[in-house]
Amino acid sequence: MIQLKTMVNCIDNSGAAVVECIKVLRKKGPARIGDRIVVVVQKQRNFGPESGTNSGIANKVRRGDIRHAVVVRARKEIQRRDGSVIKFDDNACVLINKSGDPIGTRLNGIVGAELRNKHWSKILSLAPLHL
Amino acid sequence: MRIDPCSFCGRPTYIKGITFVRNDAKCFRFCRSKCHKNFKAKRLPRKVRWTQAHRMKAGKQMIVDSTVQFAASRRNVPVRYNRELVSQTVRAMGRISEIRARRERAFYKKRISGKRAQEVIENRKLVAQSEHLLPRLQEKEMRAFDTGDSVVLRAKQKSKVFGTERKKLRARIDGSVEEVSQQTDGFNDIDMG
Repeated sequence: MIQLKTMVNCIDNSGAAVVECIKVLRKKGPARIGDRIVVVVQKQRNFGPESGTNSGIANKVRRGDIRHAVVVRARKEIQRRDGSVIKFDDNACVLINKSGDPIGTRLNGIVGAELRNKHWSKILSLAPLHL
Repeated sequence: MRIDPCSFCGRPTYIKGITFVRNDAKCFRFCRSKCHKNFKAKRLPRKVRWTQAHRMKAGKQMIVDSTVQFAASRRNVPVRYNRELVSQTVRAMGRISEIRARRERAFYKKRISGKRAQEVIENRKLVAQSEHLLPRLQEKEMRAFDTGDSVVLRAKQKSKVFGTERKKLRARIDGSVEEVSQQTDGFNDIDMG
């Protein structure tokens, strides 16, 4: 249930830590796992003096950037085709560019298996585990 | 599809309930919303009386047994399909559950065996503690009570009928007759007499 103003954790190494949803794309109502959203970067990862040395690699995005993202985990429970109901611990997303490729190169954290049905195979291949 | 036990109460979670995935990829399966709510309230299953974990801790469940191990152990090694093996397994499943039911019954009987004697001891203790509340017993009854025979307390004597009920027939103007019952207590009778 991610909608306007929802703060979402960013779990890739693009440099964003927390982003805010400003638009749910191609869908009426709140976004769930696998949906594309537009976000504003609110908090950066590694933000500080020690990040100056490798800022070029670590932070591909900065605070205030507007990017697209895919929801990969949602706290709202979701029913699957096999009848099971599953929910996650937090709301999380992965930043992508306009063509749908992830901006970061690594993901730290599990992603929902609903991504498989929505053809986010690049994110799935980066993820350590999908449940 | 594997049917896992509930993470809270230990019942099998068929296709029901909710799976909760923590961020460290640990799955918690709950058989019903009752278990999910208790988990969210951070209750410890071992301390909640109706869970399997508590029953095991309290020694109410058969834990050490070869038939229990079948359900508990997870075998993740894939086995090549073998018709003979499948039929054998299906036969074994029925047999194992049969044996297990019988052993559980025996376990229960053994666990419950001393209960009656314990109850009798406790009841006697209660009687001894609150003896002053009892009606005074006769010698014979006292003896019967000590030896454990069934005791018939003296039936309380019925009180004498006190007062009488009078019935009057009242003739009405329209010709009908009305019956009126009048209760008197004994005192008035004496006065009148």
